[in-house]
Amino acid sequence: MAERRAGAPRGVRSRILDPGDTALAAVLLLPAALLLSLVVLYPVGKLVWTSFTDLSLTSGAPAAFVGIRNFRWMLEDATFRQSLWNTILITLVTVPGALVAGLGLAMLANLPFRVKWPVRLSLLIPWALPLSFAGLIFAWFFHSEYGVVNDILRRLGFEGVIWFNSPRWAMVAVCITIIWKTASFVALILLAGLQTIPRSLYEAADVDGAGRWRQFVEITLPLLRPAIAVALIFRTITALQTFDVPFMMTRGGPGSSTTTLAMYIHQNTVSFLDLGYGSALAVVLFLISMLFTALYLRMIRARG
Amino acid sequence: MSDRSPRVPPLRAIAALVLLVNGLFPAIWILLTSLKSEPELSRTPITYLPEDPTFQNYVTAFSDQPLHLFLFNSFAVATLSTISTLFVSTLAAYALARLNLRFRGVILMAIIGVSTFPLVTLLVPLFEIMRGLGLLNTWAALIIPYTVLSLPVCTLVLAAFFESVPRDLENAAMIDGCTRVGALFRVIVPLSAPGVFTAAILAFVNAWDEFLLALSFNSNPALRTLPVGIQLYQGEFTFPWPVISAALVVGIVPLAILIVLFQERVVSGLMTGGVKG
Repeated sequence: MAERRAGAPRGVRSRILDPGDTALAAVLLLPAALLLSLVVLYPVGKLVWTSFTDLSLTSGAPAAFVGIRNFRWMLEDATFRQSLWNTILITLVTVPGALVAGLGLAMLANLPFRVKWPVRLSLLIPWALPLSFAGLIFAWFFHSEYGVVNDILRRLGFEGVIWFNSPRWAMVAVCITIIWKTASFVALILLAGLQTIPRSLYEAADVDGAGRWRQFVEITLPLLRPAIAVALIFRTITALQTFDVPFMMTRGGPGSSTTTLAMYIHQNTVSFLDLGYGSALAVVLFLISMLFTALYLRMIRARG
Repeated sequence: MSDRSPRVPPLRAIAALVLLVNGLFPAIWILLTSLKSEPELSRTPITYLPEDPTFQNYVTAFSDQPLHLFLFNSFAVATLSTISTLFVSTLAAYALARLNLRFRGVILMAIIGVSTFPLVTLLVPLFEIMRGLGLLNTWAALIIPYTVLSLPVCTLVLAAFFESVPRDLENAAMIDGCTRVGALFRVIVPLSAPGVFTAAILAFVNAWDEFLLALSFNSNPALRTLPVGIQLYQGEFTFPWPVISAALVVGIVPLAILIVLFQERVVSGLMTGGVKG
């Protein structure tokens, strides 16, 4: 009793100076909550609503509710189908591509170099480079006449490729660029994973006479699985949103052969000012992306 | 072991070469291109090193387009959004790291969920919101979404650093008369300086690199950021590569300086809450 009474005034005083945890937490989290409401929550609601309307900035008419008309249009829209397929193709090619290239880079970077900073730098520069810059730089690499890629091909005795005139080669160039740009990020994530693998495991395997390849398959890969999973999911989500690189390299062409879903959303919204249809397209991309986010959150929760 | 060791240095040398060429060749190639004259560029077979290095392309890059304005806008938008991200995420990170939250898990999941959010899909509603607020063609139209863009990663990085500050130091400050918020800004934030710094660099790079919103929300040429401004050099039928290269170099140099100076911080930050692809 005496203790409690003695503690009471201090408790009151500290409550005046420091509001209780819950109240303080509410105050501290308020700015973040307000921002997220303004930039994410409210827009998502608005997006879903607009996708069921015919809102267009060209007609000037007020938006009318049109039910699922926009979504029905999608089914008959060849450009939508093409852009959806291109997005899936880019994801299917560049995610495993960046993973393999990134794993290679990470293994190389994990060698015991005496001077570490050049290695670090060579992974960080591609990461920091804006995607849009990478698109422009590689467009120059793949230039049909003066590009360094065709120059090397010609020196090796092949014929140069007119990259951006053919749907297939344009897509190849776009995918190579995305793989290059994103492999460094994957490498940085995997490098962190590699550095947590105890050296003693390899030493023990050496004693047992296991070769390099068996060590890679039986020690490195299994212990790297969590890092690989994180890299895979992040890469997939960003691949689904691909915009900058094809926009800078090909403007989606030739035709719409390298147009991604994100580019088609942008085109409908900013160029055609058809906000209703643009929103319906965005809802589709949103749902696909949420699928992978849910997967990611489940993975994190499973790991605690 | 002794029969293997002579083979190791060459392996490491080859590895270093592969890493360096992969990482730096594009930037070096664009630097070399920017130093070549137009006639030298339009010649086959192409030259690798510039025969007669010239800085003319840099002069043209600044005179053809307001490149100094693009730079200024990029700096302003990136710096201001970094400051606002740091402020908001410092408060949120403290709540997550130090307070007994009832919904800590839910809040954490929400923050991580936002970190993977496809901003592209919000182009239409954000455009309308910015128009409604009269913010189109202002820096604020970019600063507000960029703050959200970097909020998750900065919050995660800062929370990790805040957790490592001993509670005794915080308590000592409070005994000396600090409030909790006072202790946050006078003790925890200074002691987490490396973390704050890491978060700042990640936020800055995110904002410096963003393209889609900058392209869509600012139609006024004087407000263009670098990634958007750089495509203005292309004419309808012309593609002045040497000048574009010079402008690209101007846009890469600030990033390169940042990365060279603070590479260790960036790597540790990416490993704590790497988000960008």
